[in-house]
Amino acid sequence: MEPSLQRPIELILARNLLSSLSTPAFLANGSGEIIFFNEAAGSILGQRFEETGTLSAEEWTRTFGPFTEDGQPIPLDEQPVTMALRANRPGHAVYGIRSHGGAEHTIETSGLPIVGTDGFQGAMVFFWPVDRAPE
Amino acid sequence: MKVKVWGARGSIPAPGPESTRYGGNTSCVQLTLPDDSTLVLDAGTGIRNLGIALHPTNQPLHILLTHLHLDHIQGLMFFAPVFRSDSEVVIWGPASPESSLRDRIGRYISAPLTPIDVRELPCDVSFQEADSPEWQIGPARIQAASVAHRGPTLGYRVEVEGSSVCYIPDHEPGLGASLADLEEDWISGFDLARDATLLIHDSQYTDDEYPEHVGWGHSSLSDALVMGRRAGAERLLLFHHDPLHSDDFLDALSGEATARWQDLGGRPDQVELATERREFELRNGAVVTNNRPESPQPRLGAQ
Repeated sequence: MEPSLQRPIELILARNLLSSLSTPAFLANGSGEIIFFNEAAGSILGQRFEETGTLSAEEWTRTFGPFTEDGQPIPLDEQPVTMALRANRPGHAVYGIRSHGGAEHTIETSGLPIVGTDGFQGAMVFFWPVDRAPE
Repeated sequence: MKVKVWGARGSIPAPGPESTRYGGNTSCVQLTLPDDSTLVLDAGTGIRNLGIALHPTNQPLHILLTHLHLDHIQGLMFFAPVFRSDSEVVIWGPASPESSLRDRIGRYISAPLTPIDVRELPCDVSFQEADSPEWQIGPARIQAASVAHRGPTLGYRVEVEGSSVCYIPDHEPGLGASLADLEEDWISGFDLARDATLLIHDSQYTDDEYPEHVGWGHSSLSDALVMGRRAGAERLLLFHHDPLHSDDFLDALSGEATARWQDLGGRPDQVELATERREFELRNGAVVTNNRPESPQPRLGAQ
C-alpha cells in the first residue's frame, strides 16, 4: 500500500461543514497550514481557495494579515488566536486584514481547536467583517 | 483469502418472505486466511450463523468491529464461540474518549439488555482498541481508519498475499461534498479503499431516498459507485441494505447499479449487491472464484 495521504477524518468533516456555511471560515491543519477556506471567506479575501491552494501560515499572514493598526503583519507567534489554538483553547480577536485586491477590513475572528482521538488535528477559524452589515 | 457474507442488511434485521434472497441478517463478513484462521468483520446478527458453522479451533478468533451501533454488535451474544471455554476471542473496535471498548460493549452485554455480563462469558475474551493505524494478525495486515459516520467508526482494510478486502459498511463520504469533485486526500476512507481487490461498501439508500437521510451516516447508490470507481476497486460489493428494501426492490437496484457502474467506465461483472452466504476467493489481487449461495433460503434451525 502507498503511504497514507489521507487527511484526518476530523479535518475532512470540518471542511465539509465549512464548505456548506455562509460564515467566512478557514481550516488549518495541525502544522498551522491553511488547508481550506470557504467561498464566503474567499469573497472577503478576494481570492478563491481554488486559486490559492494550501497556504503556509507565513504565506497567509504575509498575504492577508492580520496587520497592526499601522499596517505591519502581526507575527504568527504573537497572534492571540494562534496562541490560544496552540494551547488547545478557543481564541477570539479583532484584527485588520487585507484582501487580495488591497481592500482593508476589520474582522472579528474566533478559532476553535479540532481535537480528535489522535489529539490536536487543527482548527476552524471563523471571521466576521465588522465593517460590513450582517447578511 | 476467502470471503463469506453472513449478513448484509443495515440498521435492523429484516427477516421475512420479502428478504429471503438477499437475507435479513445485519452486518457480518467472514474472512478465512491462508493459515485457516478466521477474521470476522462486524458482529451483526449474521454472526450467529457463522458461529454455528465454525468448527472449534485453537486459534484465536478476531472480530473487527467498525463501530458499536446495535446492528454491528447484536450478534455477539449469540455467537457460539463466546460460550465455549476453550475459545479465545479478540474483539477489536474504535477507541472513544468516553470509555473503554470493553465498557462500551459491556453496556449491551449486561442487564437489563442481556442475562449475563461480559465477565461471565465462558470464552477467553479480550478487547483491543484499534488505536494503531496498522497491525498484523497472522498472515493478514490490518489497516484501520476513522471514516465519516455518526460516532467513532472505523473502516478496515485487510491485506493478504497481494489481495485486499476493504470493509466500510457504514459510510457517508459524500456528506456536504460532491464525491466526484473532491480531491482524493479529502475523501473519507479513500486510502483504505484504494485499489482494493474487493471493496465492501455502504449503499443503503437509493439516490431518491438519500436527500431525506442526509447526515444519517450512509451512502447513496451514486456515492457508493463513485467511491468504488475513484478508488479503483477491482470488485465492489454494495452492502448494508436498507431494511425496507425487499428482494424485488434490490433486484431492480442491482440492475440500475450495474448499468450506472458501466456508465462510469466499469465492467458489469465488477459490481453487485451483497447477498447472504455469498462467497469469494481472492488470490494475487484478483477475485478467482465466485460462489453464489446454493440456496438463498436460510437453513432450517440456523436462523
